[in-house]
Amino acid sequence: MIKNYILLLLAFVTAFTFISCDKDDPVIENEEELITTVNYTLTPTDGGEAIVLTFQDLDGDGEMVPMISSGLLGAGKTYNGVLELLNESDSPAENITEEIQEEDEDHQFFFQTDIAGLVVAYSDTDADGNPVGLSTTVTTDAAASGSLTIILLHEPVKTADGVSAGDITNAAGESDIEVVFPIDVQ
Amino acid sequence: MFSRSIGLCFFLFSSIFFSVAQDCTVKIEGNVVDEASESPLSYVNVYIQELQLGTTTDDEGNFSLENICAGHYHFILSHIGCEGEKLHFDIYGDTTLNIALSHTPTSLGTVVIAGKKEDYNSQANLTVNRKIIEDNANQNLSALLENETGVHLIKNGNGISKPVVHGLYGNRLLMLNNGISQAGQQWGNDHSPEIDPFAVDNIIVLKGANAIEYGGGNLGSVVLAQPKRIAREPHLHGQVNYIFDTNGRGHTFNTRMGQYTPAVAWKINGTLKKVGDKRTADYFLNNTGTEEANFALQLEKSLKENLFIDLYASTFNTKLGILRGSHISNVNNLEQALQQEVPFYTEPDFSYGLAAPSQKVSHHFTKARARYFISDEKILELVLAGQLNDRKEFDIRRGDRSDIPALSLKQYTFNSELKYSIAFADSWKLKLGNQNIVTDNTNASGTGILPLIPDYLSWRSGLFTTLSRVKERTTVNLGLRYDYEDQLVLAISNTFPREVVRYENSFHNLSALLSLKTKLAKKQSISWNIGYAMRNPAVNELYSNGLHQGVSGIEEGDPSLSTEKALKNTLEYKWVPSSKLALNVLAYHQLFQDYIFLNPQNEIRTTIRGAFPVFRYEQTAASIYGLDLSSQFTLGKSLLGLVRYSYLRGQDTAEDVPLIFMPPNSLFASLTFRAPQNKSRAGGRVKIEDAEIEISNRLVFRQNHILDGQDFLAPPDSYNLVGLKFSTDIILLNYKFRCFVKADNLFNVSYRDYLNRQRYFADDLGLNISVGLNVKF
Repeated sequence: MIKNYILLLLAFVTAFTFISCDKDDPVIENEEELITTVNYTLTPTDGGEAIVLTFQDLDGDGEMVPMISSGLLGAGKTYNGVLELLNESDSPAENITEEIQEEDEDHQFFFQTDIAGLVVAYSDTDADGNPVGLSTTVTTDAAASGSLTIILLHEPVKTADGVSAGDITNAAGESDIEVVFPIDVQ
Repeated sequence: MFSRSIGLCFFLFSSIFFSVAQDCTVKIEGNVVDEASESPLSYVNVYIQELQLGTTTDDEGNFSLENICAGHYHFILSHIGCEGEKLHFDIYGDTTLNIALSHTPTSLGTVVIAGKKEDYNSQANLTVNRKIIEDNANQNLSALLENETGVHLIKNGNGISKPVVHGLYGNRLLMLNNGISQAGQQWGNDHSPEIDPFAVDNIIVLKGANAIEYGGGNLGSVVLAQPKRIAREPHLHGQVNYIFDTNGRGHTFNTRMGQYTPAVAWKINGTLKKVGDKRTADYFLNNTGTEEANFALQLEKSLKENLFIDLYASTFNTKLGILRGSHISNVNNLEQALQQEVPFYTEPDFSYGLAAPSQKVSHHFTKARARYFISDEKILELVLAGQLNDRKEFDIRRGDRSDIPALSLKQYTFNSELKYSIAFADSWKLKLGNQNIVTDNTNASGTGILPLIPDYLSWRSGLFTTLSRVKERTTVNLGLRYDYEDQLVLAISNTFPREVVRYENSFHNLSALLSLKTKLAKKQSISWNIGYAMRNPAVNELYSNGLHQGVSGIEEGDPSLSTEKALKNTLEYKWVPSSKLALNVLAYHQLFQDYIFLNPQNEIRTTIRGAFPVFRYEQTAASIYGLDLSSQFTLGKSLLGLVRYSYLRGQDTAEDVPLIFMPPNSLFASLTFRAPQNKSRAGGRVKIEDAEIEISNRLVFRQNHILDGQDFLAPPDSYNLVGLKFSTDIILLNYKFRCFVKADNLFNVSYRDYLNRQRYFADDLGLNISVGLNVKF
């Protein structure tokens, strides 16, 4: 009787050693939330050719160095700025701008620059009348060079002090985008 | 495991002497000693529940009760500083009971009736007993260890914590749930061990060099959380626990019951918990609530006199909120959050709501064990176990995706264990064993995010042997272990386009242990323990890849990491001159070769979401040493004092810089006053027993052993927390009620703890008053 028990136990252990030693390949996730590309198109209000600032990083957090274009703006000019966000890791590329538009109460772009006289003003609002930043008006003053940082915050506190004027200090939220473009005003 | 063998001793060696007597003239005599010092224990309350009759032991530890009718009785034993014990005896005639009560912190917590305690384990250890568990189970399991020497906690907010023993945690610290190594995503600093403290009867921390028989892969200490063997108690007994917390407005409800029947012995345990937003001294910590529902079943049966089977099954399910203001996305975000006095998103109102970021974790556990006593000397044991750990982590995401987990891992683990032990010659004992663990870790698809930890299948097989001898004054323990681990890893590249990359690794690990314990004159003992262990790199250290939202950094594994090696020495001195004083000093030193750690790189990586620091797993030489001091003393019959001090230093010896994230030194002290007891209990329907007032103080020093720039933020200042607790037992209509009111952080101090990751963003918990009620039936 006892022997039978022991045999049974040993059978268990043996069975254990034959558990499959292979594993299926994982499914490669469709990273639909990923933003790979930011295009900031600046069209001069007095006509002329539009300038497109592009930041593209196809591998997300990976080691690949992102492609960043630099912008050459004219001094003392006014531009209409339009932002476009894409996920180009998918084919065809997915337009993320629409997603931001749908959730515009939960998003806001912030523009920061060290160039004197370069001003980015919001020209759009969400349903609550707060700025979003997909459309902007950019004005330049004297010639200078520096950078323009564009930040997209998710769930900012838009009612906090200074936020609707474009000051990020009290905005909280998480950055979905934070890109820096070198700019020359000539 | 250890306490089970004690339980067994209890049944095998019970020295209950019967002689024929007339009804109602039975005399029960007894003697109670302190298990550790073996000296008589005075002022122990001995109480027969059915007769509502009791007495107290005298200076020699003796008691006697006369003119008792023959019958079936429950004896309740209680003493200051002890876990109360309830024992069932069938009294037919004059009876002598010899009882050893564990009373000092230097012993394992349980009662031994006149049996010789098995003391093969000469390693330093500490025990948290059932009484402490019941009074503190409104917290998670790790938190119960917070006031012990040599143990610290790594926290993420206040619902999530994991133990650190002698500076080691996560992959390096083995946690055994019911004898089986707790599976799950143990690598994560923001992952708690998924064990219900109410389902556990004691928690033992083995602080020695290496616990050979508990499974390889760890580098030292072991935390054992285990239920006791079901008491040989023919009646249905159980308890109901309820604890309310003011901080978080938490409700914790638990019930357990069990019975020993000739057919089968059973015990069930169920726990429900709901806690809302916790509060610091000054503001609410929004979204830090917890919900929990747990159940456990324990069955024991002896098929023959020498074949014992037991089964254990449990399910643990929790949902944990993470402070909204601690969720940050890049370096600039982090810097902004660090500058906030009060975290972002702090709201003036309390809520039970749980929103993203949050975790939802289920852990299902099942275990079957058979023990076959071939003879008095030879025991064969087989254990089979399976676990499923299902972890989902939710982040704040765009496009209504916050309900889709950002991380979703399912891990199946299968264990098998075969052990054989034989006692031979003159007090020698040999143990041989084999353990196998298969782990299958899979990322559920549909998260829309590349996994941080890849899918893998790992196989570990180990063989061990230990040889021990307990003779007179000396205990010797020798152990050797070999483990083989095979890993099949299926990673997804983070290059573009994505592709699956397969890795196959195999590792060989050896560990060895020698320990000696000798009793010196005058109730002193000294033990020395030396152990060498190897730990192969874990899958997260080799292949983790991507953004770890929790730490706002990109973490990269290194597939070329080699096995980590450690040599640990401990020296422990115990002095238990009487049942009134116990002193314990433990010094330890652990040397590491190829110590694996996450090193911040000089690289700041630019991504579309901004700049992120890069952390890479690297190896270095390291050294950790420290000192654990503890003392317990009683003054008169009503005052009990405890003092515990932990000192620890960790150093990267290759670079000659401090190791980061090492526990700061701490000092804990408590003083308990117990109201004097009436000797006779007869008369009156309501009786107050064991009324105690405890005042405690925990001082955590500042971690000064760290250089500027090793962390985002300098370590927080030292802090001091005062606790006050009033507890009493009330016996009413044959039921025993235990009530307590406990204040933690009595003075509502605002502080931050170095090992709490939430310290970057918010203060730690303010005042909490808990009210607890426990009914035993």
